[in-house]
Amino acid sequence: MNNLQYQLGRSFIYSILIGFALLYLAPLYVMLITSLKDVEEIRSGNLIALPESFNFSAWAKAWSSACTGSDCQGLAPYFWNSMRIVIPAVLMSTVIGACNGYVLAQWQFKGSNFLFGALLFGCFIPFQVILLPMAKLLAVLGLANTVTGLVAVHVVYGITFTTLFFRNYYIAIPSELVRAARLDGAGFFTIFWRIFLPMSTPIFVVTVIWQFTQIWNDFLFGVVYSGPGTQPITVALNNLVNTSIGGKQYNVDMAAAIIAALPTLVVYIVAGKYFVRGLTAGAVKG
Amino acid sequence: MGAINIQNLVKSYADTEVLKGINLAINDGEFLILVGPSGCGKSTLMNCIAGLEEVTSGNLIIDEDNVTDLNPKDRDIAMVFQSYALYPTMTVAKNISFGLEMRKYPKDSIEHTIQEVAKLLQIEHLLQRKPSQLSGGQRQRVAMGRALARSPRVFLFDEPLSNLDAKLRVEMRTEIKKLHKRLNTTIVYVTHDQVEAMTLADRIAVMKDGYVQQFGTPYEIYNDPANRFVADFMGSPAMNFVECVVIDDKLIIESDGKSVQLNVPDGQALIKAGIDTVILGIRPEMITEPKPHGNSGYITEIPFTIDVTEPTGPDTLAFGTWNNQEVQARLSPEAGAKAAQSNQLLVQIDTSKAVLFDPHTGKRIRT
Amino acid sequence: MFKYLATHLPKVVLAPTAIVMLVCMYGFIGWTAGLSFTKSRMLPQWEFVGLTQYEKLFSNPRWMVALDNLLIFTLLFIFISLVLGLLLAIFLDRKVRGEGVIRTIYLYPMAISFVVTGTAWKWILNPGLGLEKLAHDLGFSNFEFRWLVDQDMAIYTIVIAAVWQSSGFVMAMFLAGLRGVDDNLVKAAQVDGASVIQTYWHIILPLMKPVFFGAVVVLAHIAIKSFDLVQALTGGGPGYASDLPANFMYTFAFSRAQMGLGAASAMVMLGGVLAILVPYLYSELRSKKS
Repeated sequence: MNNLQYQLGRSFIYSILIGFALLYLAPLYVMLITSLKDVEEIRSGNLIALPESFNFSAWAKAWSSACTGSDCQGLAPYFWNSMRIVIPAVLMSTVIGACNGYVLAQWQFKGSNFLFGALLFGCFIPFQVILLPMAKLLAVLGLANTVTGLVAVHVVYGITFTTLFFRNYYIAIPSELVRAARLDGAGFFTIFWRIFLPMSTPIFVVTVIWQFTQIWNDFLFGVVYSGPGTQPITVALNNLVNTSIGGKQYNVDMAAAIIAALPTLVVYIVAGKYFVRGLTAGAVKG
Repeated sequence: MGAINIQNLVKSYADTEVLKGINLAINDGEFLILVGPSGCGKSTLMNCIAGLEEVTSGNLIIDEDNVTDLNPKDRDIAMVFQSYALYPTMTVAKNISFGLEMRKYPKDSIEHTIQEVAKLLQIEHLLQRKPSQLSGGQRQRVAMGRALARSPRVFLFDEPLSNLDAKLRVEMRTEIKKLHKRLNTTIVYVTHDQVEAMTLADRIAVMKDGYVQQFGTPYEIYNDPANRFVADFMGSPAMNFVECVVIDDKLIIESDGKSVQLNVPDGQALIKAGIDTVILGIRPEMITEPKPHGNSGYITEIPFTIDVTEPTGPDTLAFGTWNNQEVQARLSPEAGAKAAQSNQLLVQIDTSKAVLFDPHTGKRIRT
Repeated sequence: MFKYLATHLPKVVLAPTAIVMLVCMYGFIGWTAGLSFTKSRMLPQWEFVGLTQYEKLFSNPRWMVALDNLLIFTLLFIFISLVLGLLLAIFLDRKVRGEGVIRTIYLYPMAISFVVTGTAWKWILNPGLGLEKLAHDLGFSNFEFRWLVDQDMAIYTIVIAAVWQSSGFVMAMFLAGLRGVDDNLVKAAQVDGASVIQTYWHIILPLMKPVFFGAVVVLAHIAIKSFDLVQALTGGGPGYASDLPANFMYTFAFSRAQMGLGAASAMVMLGGVLAILVPYLYSELRSKKS
């Protein structure tokens, strides 16, 4: 291949790659600049025009005084709701997944593979099929419309993924390690605690990030199982956008959307490597 | 301290029997090798001795204790694994001391043991490293150190050298033998490498299909194999097997258009067995260029057409055919070089150690 | 008792999960299946009416629209995401400077909630102030872009937003696949005189088959479950023109108190997922065994 051809090829590749990068970035850019304009400027300007001055009032409003339905406290309370749901749900599902994965990978017994298959199936079912009975169960347990109820739902249906992650991580570890430890006199929990946990940091990070993103971004369980006051931020955002009291305020909508996206975006930027690993591990069944 | 008695041990998974009644008596301080092709049950047998697999029936007795149903940790056994199975997050020192710690040894005695073991294996400078920072040979040493630390009554080695490169493997082999001499603890050692088996063992158990085919000293196994499988499996290059017509107590070999009659030690048994053909088993080193002063009764000379030669250094392997079956001879380098040029050589066959097998069952025919 | 626990610890540890899964997955699926054969409305009532709900479902125009939409959405979404993802992955695999940054940019939408995506695109596609206005400002005064409020086109806005969100992920899958290709194969092809394009077409792309199927399964799965994106972007509108089955199910089961009908629609969705998943898993298992 001669040099000119090579140069042309390279510039073609770069222009395609950069062009698409701009396309992918565009919505974020539009959201950001729209959130910094005032309503008047939005009406007169266009999507990509920079604001004349940075105006953070839409952000303040989205955070503390915008109306989500009849309630006008901004997204703040729902942001904290989401935190109250996400943190315990992530921790519990991760810990349970780690224990399950340890057993399924290293302490197989008759039927454990079948059990794993049955569990794996749970990664794929459309949740619509369990929505109604779960609502009934939560009602019976007195957990309908509560944060606790949402935590429970996320834990139950998150376990499938966390178990899958840990199982696939631990299955790559030779079974001789457990055997050696057993001969050394260590038991089930000692081996887990002293040998497996210390080498599980990467998979813990992957799992925690995956679960955090999944649960933070959840809308379905949120909209079905929460009540007034216990809604997660995704539901509140949707309500905020669809509340049309006093005209559309696109700047507030956009500020609210960014606020709702911010935690997972931060996680992605800080730990993107692990995020991608989780995506591929979770998606391609492992 | 460390005599093992395996009585009628059977192990089956679902409906396949992996071990079909194993009986072995291993003396205290003996170096026993379990050898056989993959799938023969040798690793399963080792895991049963370790207690990592439950036995289906039979008994396992170490010294006076019936340990058949004991947990691995209560058997006073240590094991070196094929992949070494070092704990990846612990330092070498921790790896060595983990078993002692689990058994709640006092701190200062643990410290003392670590130093002692490290010195013995020359890994003192590695004690603070993690397994990932070690070379293959160093990991091997640490794995042995971990086993040594507890001074158990029995050591189990599960193909410990198979992950090392050829040169290191030979080095470690010698080292393991020295270690055994020094400690005098019973060792059960699994391998599929018959050279390892021959060089290390006090006694060898050759296994196949869940049975012990033969249990004896390396000398017995090599020179007096119980059946064709053992004869074929042990020895490198492998024993020659030639189907021969029987006339009275002699075998007919046809080579290069000439035919000769061979005298064999077990000739009388042929008459008793009354069969027309038999498999002659003869090791390559018994087919050589003519040499002075052999045991005259069993020496026969015959012309040999050579298809190909393989010089190995100390000697040269030459391939030809007898009775239309491939045969290897082991020549001196000089004779080999000559043979390679002329493709023709007069060889002598020494049948003083030849063995005979039934062509159908592969069993030994002997007097 | 203690001894039993000690020797069966692995089972004991797994037992709670097993029980919860048995109840909350398989039990609940059974419950929903049962419900779909009853005339339950506001509350479950166990009076069986056979397949009535399914008959009602498939004679419901809204459901049929949702199914049509699902078909359009799934096919387009998968097709565009695959092509785009593969293309970007191939380009990105050509030893590009700044690969890490570019990859991060392609993939960030995947970290965002579908509700946020929907909100953002709802604004971008806004008939009065969005792209249309931008085009006008740039001098294309006749440009018209009102898909969001167009009965026939609304579903395509969902395709656009979904592709934006998920194609980076497909890119990541393919990129991982491309990185797994043995370098010697490429070298061998070069020695054999193949051009770059021929090498990709004859050697590398055929090797991407498993990634391809994996991506299809994941994307199909995302498509069938899609609910929040529609809810946030179009609200299923105009009218119910951009409804997907998941939205239909939610509306009828929860807003309209038609539990039996909602359950029936959920079962049909499960059937759809199984129709994709079972052959896939079957072929996966078979190829693993051989």
